[in-house]
Amino acid sequence: MSKIVEISPTTRHEGHSKLVLKVDDAGIIERGDWLSITPVRGVEKLAIGKTMDQVPKIASRVCGICPIAHTLAGIEAMEGSIRCEIPKDAKLLRIILQAANRLHSIALHNILILPDFYLPGTDTKINPFSPQEPVRSVAKRIVRLREIGQTIGEIAGGEAVHPSNPRVGGMYKACTKQAVTKMYDLAKEGLVLAREQMEFMLAVINNMKKRDWVEVGGKQIPLPKTLGYHDQGYMAVHPMYGTSNLDENPTWDPNRWTDVRPWDWYMGEGEVSLADPSYPIGGTSPVGTKVNPQMEACTGVPLYDGAPVEVGPRARLVRFKNFDEKGTWGQHIARQLEYTDCCYTILNALDEYNPSGKVVADKIPQGDGSLGWAANEAPRGTDVHLAKVKDGRVLYYEMLVPTTWNFPTCSRALTGAPWQVAELVVRGYDPCVSCATHMIVIDQDRKVIAQKLIQ
Amino acid sequence: MLYPEIVITGCGNPLFADDGFGPAVIEELRRIDLPDNVKAIDAGLGGPHFVFTLLDPAVTRRLIIVDTVDFGGKPGQLARFSADDLPPGSYRDAHSWDLTEPLQRLKDKMEITVIGCQPGRVAEFEIGLSDEVRSAVPLAVREVLALIGVDYGTTLENLRKEEHQRAAGGEARGGHWCGEEG
Repeated sequence: MSKIVEISPTTRHEGHSKLVLKVDDAGIIERGDWLSITPVRGVEKLAIGKTMDQVPKIASRVCGICPIAHTLAGIEAMEGSIRCEIPKDAKLLRIILQAANRLHSIALHNILILPDFYLPGTDTKINPFSPQEPVRSVAKRIVRLREIGQTIGEIAGGEAVHPSNPRVGGMYKACTKQAVTKMYDLAKEGLVLAREQMEFMLAVINNMKKRDWVEVGGKQIPLPKTLGYHDQGYMAVHPMYGTSNLDENPTWDPNRWTDVRPWDWYMGEGEVSLADPSYPIGGTSPVGTKVNPQMEACTGVPLYDGAPVEVGPRARLVRFKNFDEKGTWGQHIARQLEYTDCCYTILNALDEYNPSGKVVADKIPQGDGSLGWAANEAPRGTDVHLAKVKDGRVLYYEMLVPTTWNFPTCSRALTGAPWQVAELVVRGYDPCVSCATHMIVIDQDRKVIAQKLIQ
Repeated sequence: MLYPEIVITGCGNPLFADDGFGPAVIEELRRIDLPDNVKAIDAGLGGPHFVFTLLDPAVTRRLIIVDTVDFGGKPGQLARFSADDLPPGSYRDAHSWDLTEPLQRLKDKMEITVIGCQPGRVAEFEIGLSDEVRSAVPLAVREVLALIGVDYGTTLENLRKEEHQRAAGGEARGGHWCGEEG
């Protein structure tokens, strides 16, 4: 008879999500539901009536980790609606910003997943914060790669976290010759480090593929060779950047997208009947906990051609580079293979870029309410924004973010795995579940620490 | 170098009313001509990922975080905390990379100050600070400037000095003006 186990919250990713898993007597997942419990964004409603310049800035705030993809997709959806072509040098700066962000993001994800992996040839799990070699050198390399990505992003995008340089119609500022030289030097340094880091990660992942078990909560859990396999499709629009309705041959089609309500997709009411207090970070939910993914899931389920699709590095490599590795390890391998692409993309764009070139369109139309869209290949996958702009104001706005696409696909990919390794599958998607508010709470009693008051 | 000697980060999400306090303070700081060794960053929600884990203690000596802090005060009230005041788990989100972990790693390597503002409301999707919290922005700016030793005559200490001088009979101020006119 099936039992229900709940892992809430899932860890080592951004945002709030949980796993509700129906398992057999041996603990193998028969049906898995991975769902967001981050409050609904609502930004689409908030956008209505705002100016086309405001909305991408608002959109960039829905997530603490992918503001760059949201800024670019938001701006380009507006440009798609008002039919505004931007100058070539502005586009090149956006491409540099995009690639720099992906470089940083892959390195950040390395830190998040390394604790799942073993030092090759040992039964010792990797602690990325360990002062011991070889991990110490790897951690330093990761930090440097992230610094390089962030610094290039800051130069091209104005700011490393919430880029201020991109605007509807192009970019606010061009980059000087000196800035180009700086970015070039950083990208060349990054290329060497990226290759080294890619090779290290591939060795670690390939070692994992050979293992028969992993340790979770002090227990040895069998590791299926088909971990994370699914039979859903892949969706990607470009190897590095994206597409929009302004392209001569767009690689995404809004008519192939449909949305299903969580109610029609996730499993219904149930009760946790299997618990394990030794599961990492506080154990699983106790027996008797009520679950109801249909009601709790905070995202709709987007479908392409009527089915869930996987988005992200593997989808990009499958679509554009004949990549054929499946499952969770295939996803991790694909992500590492993008490391050097990021640096080459930056170097090639810098070669083409003209610091004296124009970066803002001569004329920025105000829009007639037509639909525009942009699909940006964010680090985690296709980030689609759709907009209608009339007289400079937004009439309609929609965001289909990467992890929203991946929720239903990943849920299907959980089947057949021991429940204890479900989070390994989730982390393969590098989920960015989207952020809600945050706030520091000083202590449980919320006491005023009077002597610390400034006023 | 990505981050210089003094780093000021405004944390929070302007989409959630008073949670946007940190970014609002950074916006004001950017209107001011800050010294070259100071960087003011609107970190949004990505402080732990984008800033704190990338700080090099050999370069960055001081980190000032401006954020909302629920310490049970009145809305708009400001308080100053150290990393020791932020015990593990004090970050309310269940993000596995919480705010406190990188700070605990950094706290013995650089000076960390948190300027916290008691929020009035952290509503679901509401752009704009409440009046109480909005009025705390200039005070937080002054506090930051005082902490980094930049005095354009606007730090609290300076203003209090002026108040003190006025209270003492206005002679100093009057004398100053007289001198200029003379």
